[in-house]
Amino acid sequence: MADAKDLMQRYCDGDAGAFRELYALVAPRLLGYLLKMARERALADDLLQQTFMKVHRARAAYVRGADPLPWIYSIAHRTFIDEARKHKRAVVRVGDVEELPEVPAGLTGESADRRDDGRADPELVTAALDALADLPHQQREAVVLTKLDGKSVAEAAAIAGTTTGAMKVRAHRGYEALRKVLGRTGEPAKKSTGGAR
Amino acid sequence: MRAIDELAQLPPPVPPPPSAVLEAELAKLTPIATRRPVRQLVLLTVVSLAYAGAIFAMLAIRHDVHELPGAWMICVGLAWLVGFIAPLYLATVPRAGQVVPRWQLAGVASMIGAIGFIGLGLVVHPSSAHGAAPDWQHVGRGYGCLEFGLATALVPVVIGAVFLRGALPVGSRWVAAALGAGGGSLGGLMLHLHCSITDGAHVGLMHGGVVGVSALLAAALVPRVTHLR
Repeated sequence: MADAKDLMQRYCDGDAGAFRELYALVAPRLLGYLLKMARERALADDLLQQTFMKVHRARAAYVRGADPLPWIYSIAHRTFIDEARKHKRAVVRVGDVEELPEVPAGLTGESADRRDDGRADPELVTAALDALADLPHQQREAVVLTKLDGKSVAEAAAIAGTTTGAMKVRAHRGYEALRKVLGRTGEPAKKSTGGAR
Repeated sequence: MRAIDELAQLPPPVPPPPSAVLEAELAKLTPIATRRPVRQLVLLTVVSLAYAGAIFAMLAIRHDVHELPGAWMICVGLAWLVGFIAPLYLATVPRAGQVVPRWQLAGVASMIGAIGFIGLGLVVHPSSAHGAAPDWQHVGRGYGCLEFGLATALVPVVIGAVFLRGALPVGSRWVAAALGAGGGSLGGLMLHLHCSITDGAHVGLMHGGVVGVSALLAAALVPRVTHLR
């Protein structure tokens, strides 16, 4: 399979097939990131579509020879932030008039029939997602990018539009907060497989 | 933490197919010219210098130029030139292999430019026999210098904004500040060559101030154009 750089260049040259290959390559990872951030499958799907629409409209800003992944992640990140702000405003309005009941978010962000990994312990995954959801979004993002998506601190900082120092602090604080919360929710510290990666 | 490890090991979810709107866009996909940062920087620099040169051609060179230390004239002129090119470079040219320009360094450069030129103007300034004496009557002319400098900064900022329109998912405010600081430094260079007031307060606050004011104005306005929405 061609790499993202090559696909992006062919896409900019007008090759729709290259876009589909790029989508197949990037969309699963991006959706995983958005799911961990948004926690709702429908919302994450919507954010994914919005992200690719923005990539499509902004493709003239792509620089040939560059790796498009950090750029696409940055666009996804901004899309999520903008949506979260809209959502926050909407929640405030609803809260003010007290007309609608509170609707809890989905637990895993994806329906059980779509989860294709039988090895993962659903309880632990749910506990981790719950704990992640309780983090401030900057810390959640730092943990998701550096601990779950395997990005380096520098890459994560570039995606989030912050400094490497700030990203390091956010990831550390987020991870410490998770450690406390997951400790309380019954994840046995003895079973730990090595802590921070 | 095992829970986090479990979550990290989950395979990526299956994404939905591209939306109908995106498919419709793909159906009419055509080749597109992508951004060429170095070419843009060269064009931005050349056009801005030509614009500044055209403005300068309409004005006179400072009348005390022959009485000022040549080394000071050249060194300060070069400093303004570096203050013009360095932020524009950082604001438009990304690191090799990246799409987004170095907005953090661009932000740092804009702050160094603004603070540096104000500080240098206040501290390092020659007194000349025919240079105007420092007093309050130069306040009015000081605003004139500020306006003149900002007018010179306009072209690099506008061209930079056009080149980067809709291109920056992150750091657009810092990139805009760098465009403003670069443009302001070009304005400062023009003032260095034209304005004969050698009073430190005037040179620092009005000539150096052009960089800061231009950076702030650009940071406030340009992201509306350059931010990727």
